[in-house]
Amino acid sequence: MSIEPRPSPLSALSMRINDGRGSNSLHRSVDESSTNDTGYLDSVLRVIYDSISELNMQLPKHLRVEKSLAEVLLGTGGKLDSLTVANFIVIAEQKLKASFGFPFDLTQDDAFSSETGYFRTVQSLATYIAEMVEKHMSSKALS
Amino acid sequence: MALKLYLISDFNLDTLGHCLANDQSAPQLSVSSAPFGQVLPPLLTLSDCQAADFVVVWTSPEAIIPSFAESFNYKSIDEDQLISEVQQFAELLRKAHKRCQAMFVVSWTIPHFRRGNGILSLKQQGTRRLLLKMNLQLADELADCGNVYLLDGQRWMEAVGKYSYSPKLWYMTKTPFHADLCRRAARELKAAIAAVRGESKKLVILDLDNTLWGGVVADVGWENLRLGGHDYLGEAFLDFQKALKALRNRGIVLAVASKNDESIALEAISKHPEMVLRVEDFAAWRINWNDKAANIAEIAAELNLGLQSAIFIDDNRGERDRVREALPEVYVPEWPDDKTLFASQLMELDCFDAAYSTAEDASRTSMYAAERQREFSRKAACSVEEWLISLQTEVTVEEACEANRVRVLQLLNKTNQMNLSTRRLSDHELQVWLQPANRKLWAFRVKDKFGDSGVTGILSLEMEAGSARIIDFVLSCRLIGHKVENAMVAFAVEYCMAVRLKQLHARYIPTGKNKPCLSFWMSSGFSQNESENRFTWQLCDPYPFPKGIRVSPPHAYGSLVRSPQQLSVQAERASLPVANN
Repeated sequence: MSIEPRPSPLSALSMRINDGRGSNSLHRSVDESSTNDTGYLDSVLRVIYDSISELNMQLPKHLRVEKSLAEVLLGTGGKLDSLTVANFIVIAEQKLKASFGFPFDLTQDDAFSSETGYFRTVQSLATYIAEMVEKHMSSKALS
Repeated sequence: MALKLYLISDFNLDTLGHCLANDQSAPQLSVSSAPFGQVLPPLLTLSDCQAADFVVVWTSPEAIIPSFAESFNYKSIDEDQLISEVQQFAELLRKAHKRCQAMFVVSWTIPHFRRGNGILSLKQQGTRRLLLKMNLQLADELADCGNVYLLDGQRWMEAVGKYSYSPKLWYMTKTPFHADLCRRAARELKAAIAAVRGESKKLVILDLDNTLWGGVVADVGWENLRLGGHDYLGEAFLDFQKALKALRNRGIVLAVASKNDESIALEAISKHPEMVLRVEDFAAWRINWNDKAANIAEIAAELNLGLQSAIFIDDNRGERDRVREALPEVYVPEWPDDKTLFASQLMELDCFDAAYSTAEDASRTSMYAAERQREFSRKAACSVEEWLISLQTEVTVEEACEANRVRVLQLLNKTNQMNLSTRRLSDHELQVWLQPANRKLWAFRVKDKFGDSGVTGILSLEMEAGSARIIDFVLSCRLIGHKVENAMVAFAVEYCMAVRLKQLHARYIPTGKNKPCLSFWMSSGFSQNESENRFTWQLCDPYPFPKGIRVSPPHAYGSLVRSPQQLSVQAERASLPVANN
């Protein structure tokens, strides 16, 4: 599956979540990412774009999701209904597991709430998942 | 115009609906769904108000068959009760199917993670055994419903693998299946619809070197080709040929388009001891150094088949691209570089799926061989008339009946070129159309000294006071120009005269593919009203039966119109005025 041109990881990291809904942790992870985070974010974005490609196969043209960091997924201006979000989550979880080698649950801890805003945009979702990967890898390294 | 598809399920099938509606491949579908979770009410009330062309019924076994749900709790199951519940569900489907062109029922499946009784699963009372029994019973119950197709859901699950079912999607959306499975199901349903609409492929055109056998025959000689033997690649090519032979037995016509020296290639086909396909298995071939696209177009023309009926298989990507570009109507599937995948790739193609299988299909390649002989004899004859007489053609006329039902439907729904109105009808629609006594449909069985072509023509009439109109006039393209079409018209005229009608009309409806039919009617001798594409014969004059064609029995409808009394009865049934003798 082709991956469309996207901003470099560094430019992705330099972008701020500017919709005002992102949580502090989200801002933190974008602003204060380590070099490792940059690597994970890049890999995570690839998986998300790949999942978007697959999701788009079942969507009419006007509802297709753009492969860009600023694309709004849920909330005001979002294109996805609940069925489509669920399908996206299942596709993404499957691909993330194949990429990183451990199972993901993107529905834990109020992932959809407006307070956390993880599913607000592609960027916020990528950051959230990159944090999960980082956390998993750190705990693995410690053990 | 998009075809209408209606989804009925006890779970959320919206993802399937989205996949079907957004798939750009033909035919385009407009999809609607029954209210969430409802199966029985929509089946009971399925009527013209939904105006669906096709209906899909996809249910979970534990929701529809209560006894089966009990098996999940390891309770003792009354198998008679279980079968009775399957029969009740089948009865609902039997009542509902008449209201659409075709109904697709997906066989029952359960997810792989339901281990049921483990090693006892296929023993008495085992979950999997009960499921197999239920599906078999359902298949048997629906066997005589011509337009109901039980689709093998289990195969879809196997193709997608362990992610077919998604517990997360079930809990979040009441959709048990992963989007992958829905996409697979959409593909399968589209293939099923194409099959019902008579759009399946009939002709496989094959390359030779490194496609049908390993190696380049002109370089290595037929003795050194990799085919069969104790060689993994040789075995792969052998299995590919076996799969092609099986297709041929199903009525798919095989042909060759190869850049080669014809004598060398034919020698290989004839002499290699492990060849499964021999010269007689191919209906036509173009083995030369010409452009393959041109050769393919020639083969299709020789076999009187439209390019849209053809599929081209070649190991060479450049040749595939060339044919795709030059002949977009021809289906050119991507083909694996790995030769060990050739047979499985072929067997997985869904373009050969057909809703009917007839004796005529099975003997199609022999019919083309007979056609080649006819063509040789035509070239040897001094005139077309002499040739036609030499064929000793016999036409047997049959009323529409159970014995020819499937073939009549096939001709009606598949024939393009010699087709007056290109009316496409389902089994049920045709039966309904035939119910009034003023409508008749005949099938024409044709044979000559080179072979039996089977039922190759149909003609239907609708009679009103004083006149009749030919509604369907269909002849297999293989027989165009054999004057069988004239014999069919002569038969219709004679019948109409016998029941004392005054005029016989035919109205040509153009489709872009049926110009041969217009040519025939323009030369038929009927008077033509050009503005309406309408042709008329005044029934005071008989229509001449073509020389050399024997209608067998000579007056095929003689038994129907033998006596004035029978004439009178017949005309009365047809609500026709009867002229006094």
